[in-house]
Amino acid sequence: MADATAVQKTGTPATRRSKGLSERRLAFLMVSPSMLLIALVAAYPIGYGLWLSLHEYSVRVAGLSRWAGLRNYRTALSDSEWWAAFFHTMIFTVCSVSLEFAIGLGMALVMHAAFRGQGIIRTTVLVPWAMLTVVTAVMWRTMFESPLGFVNSLLGTNTVWLGDQPYALIVVILADVWKTAPFMALLILAGLQVIPTEIYEAAEVDGATAWQRFARITMPLLMPAILVALIFRTLDALRVFDLPFVLTNGKSGTSTLSTIAQETFASNRIYGLGSAMAVLTFLIVMIVSFTYIRTVGGNIRGLAEE
Amino acid sequence: MRGRFGLGSALALALCSFVVAACGGSDNGGGGGGGGGSESGGGTNQTAGVKKIDPNSMKGAKGKVTYCTGKDTPGNTHAWIKAYNAKNTGITVKILEFPTSADAQRQQFIQRQQAKSGECDIFSSDVIWTAEFASQKWLYDMTPYIQSRKADFIQAPLQTVTFENKQFGVPETTDAGFLYYRDDKIKQVPATWQEVYKEAAQNGGIVYQGAAYEGLTCDFLELMFAAGGQVLNADGTKAAINSPQSVKALQLMVDGVKNGTAPKAVTTYMEPQALSAWETGKYAFMRNWPYAYALSQNDTTSKVKGKFQVAPQPAFEGGGKAGILGGHNSVISVYSKNPGAALAVVDYVTSLETNVRNASKFSLAPVLSAAYDDAKVKKALPFSDELKQAIAQAKARPVSPVYPQISQAIYNNVNDALAGRQTAADAMKKAQAAIDKALATF
Repeated sequence: MADATAVQKTGTPATRRSKGLSERRLAFLMVSPSMLLIALVAAYPIGYGLWLSLHEYSVRVAGLSRWAGLRNYRTALSDSEWWAAFFHTMIFTVCSVSLEFAIGLGMALVMHAAFRGQGIIRTTVLVPWAMLTVVTAVMWRTMFESPLGFVNSLLGTNTVWLGDQPYALIVVILADVWKTAPFMALLILAGLQVIPTEIYEAAEVDGATAWQRFARITMPLLMPAILVALIFRTLDALRVFDLPFVLTNGKSGTSTLSTIAQETFASNRIYGLGSAMAVLTFLIVMIVSFTYIRTVGGNIRGLAEE
Repeated sequence: MRGRFGLGSALALALCSFVVAACGGSDNGGGGGGGGGSESGGGTNQTAGVKKIDPNSMKGAKGKVTYCTGKDTPGNTHAWIKAYNAKNTGITVKILEFPTSADAQRQQFIQRQQAKSGECDIFSSDVIWTAEFASQKWLYDMTPYIQSRKADFIQAPLQTVTFENKQFGVPETTDAGFLYYRDDKIKQVPATWQEVYKEAAQNGGIVYQGAAYEGLTCDFLELMFAAGGQVLNADGTKAAINSPQSVKALQLMVDGVKNGTAPKAVTTYMEPQALSAWETGKYAFMRNWPYAYALSQNDTTSKVKGKFQVAPQPAFEGGGKAGILGGHNSVISVYSKNPGAALAVVDYVTSLETNVRNASKFSLAPVLSAAYDDAKVKKALPFSDELKQAIAQAKARPVSPVYPQISQAIYNNVNDALAGRQTAADAMKKAQAAIDKALATF
């Protein structure tokens, strides 16, 4: 870097311009492989999905297809089952992400505190996160299932957890919280560890209470980490598939945007409509992430500048 | 130095992206499907011009044949392949196992057919998929071969390979639901479903498969067919499920859950859950497939050992007897590179020898009438007479290329009714509309 500036300073205006051009070309060359990679692994499938969503492929006559325009989107948006899936996904996202945040924050504060046995606590907290989602789902299903599940005998209830609304969705949310709160905790812990201890010491000297230190120092300085964690989790939650698929097969009020798209595309082989549903999910995720970055991304930059 | 590094990384990245693209490409080829241009529609005859198998091609056929099937949990496939390869006919059979889940098996086969892959010469197709595969022209028309053997098969399983009056497979094994009952609590097998529910109410209850999945479609259709209901009209073009008979059948099941004859949790039961509920010894009846017989008798936790019998499904008051056929059919892929050898193998898979071995060693119900008279089968399946009767009275599920959607329309609405989320009449009305919508799928 130092070399380059030295060269630029000594060069005449003409050579500087040509240098700039070649540098730009070099930059373009260096970026192009990754652009190509992105185009191949991201843009191509997305474009192909869009293409499928604008067509109809016959489920009864082999190889027959026709242009459908936006008809598949109209069908999806006028389908009450799609809207049901939409609302289930929203409820799931809001509930699971806020619970995970609260619990994850608590876990991170505990893990951050220095005490004996810290290593064991950190490891145990992370166990659920290390487990495969499908395994988690099977485990939770076994717990809540009748007649072998122990939850009903423990609570002395006779609830059909996985077959009644809204219990089925509650079980899906709980399973997700159990599994992903540690992930939230991990990200927040990383944020906690970069806060310099001197600030706390100074605050203590100034006579700040523990609550004041938490509310005035920890939380504001933690914001960037929290926001990143929230974005990750929200986008993941909007696409949730495996938990409802294994726990309830997406029935009993647990259908989500992804389970309904999968059922339409893979089980029923209605490729056009299924792709349209997948594109809608994609759009919803895009809108949410844009909103996040707009409202929250600025905050992060602002905080970083402070 | 910097330039060389840039070039090197560019090359590496380009290579990676090429590899990834190649993998991604094949994925898309499998999942996308139907990507070809428009062809003129086949009208009502969707299997016109499909390749016919030549029965003579199996004579002297040689080479390798791959037999694709779901996970061979019972072990019968490995057994017949070993026996067949030992015969040294010049044909070697190799097994390709798909996952245990039926849905995953179907998708594995569909992906191969869409890619026009000849990997599976023979596929062991669940009875409900045969029409769908045939309508996509993925299967050989087996009519010329099966013609001479028609009389040997029990007629009901033959229905499941028939689509547009042609046979697109050969039945391998079959299955029909049984009514399990506690012979220490129930003196005599009830003659009707109404009596079953009445007796169940007084003796501990009944369990069956009530979760929103294929199993519930079977359990409900057994009652509905017995009551005289229909899913589709005679030519399969319109839904016919919204009838007083169907509502009556569903009402009986709904009342059963409402008054506690069937536990509320039955709305989440699949086969294993129904079996473990039954094995607690609390219930007087269970509807399940024959596989549950050996397990109820041998499971260490089973409290019903030696205390139960099986019976074919009873009649419905004012209707008749019915049942639902399960089982698998051998189908030959049109992309097979060696259809002659594949046919020779299918001929063996569906032979009396294999039927008897499947039944006597692996408790799989034979499709050939003669197998039920075999002494080994009678000894291994103490319920073989009931089984033959259950199969003979059973009916095929609707044969349609949009069967998955039809089944969803049935099990979703029936499940909602059982869970008390809608009335029986509303459930049938909604199922009717959903099936009509499914039939109108492009």
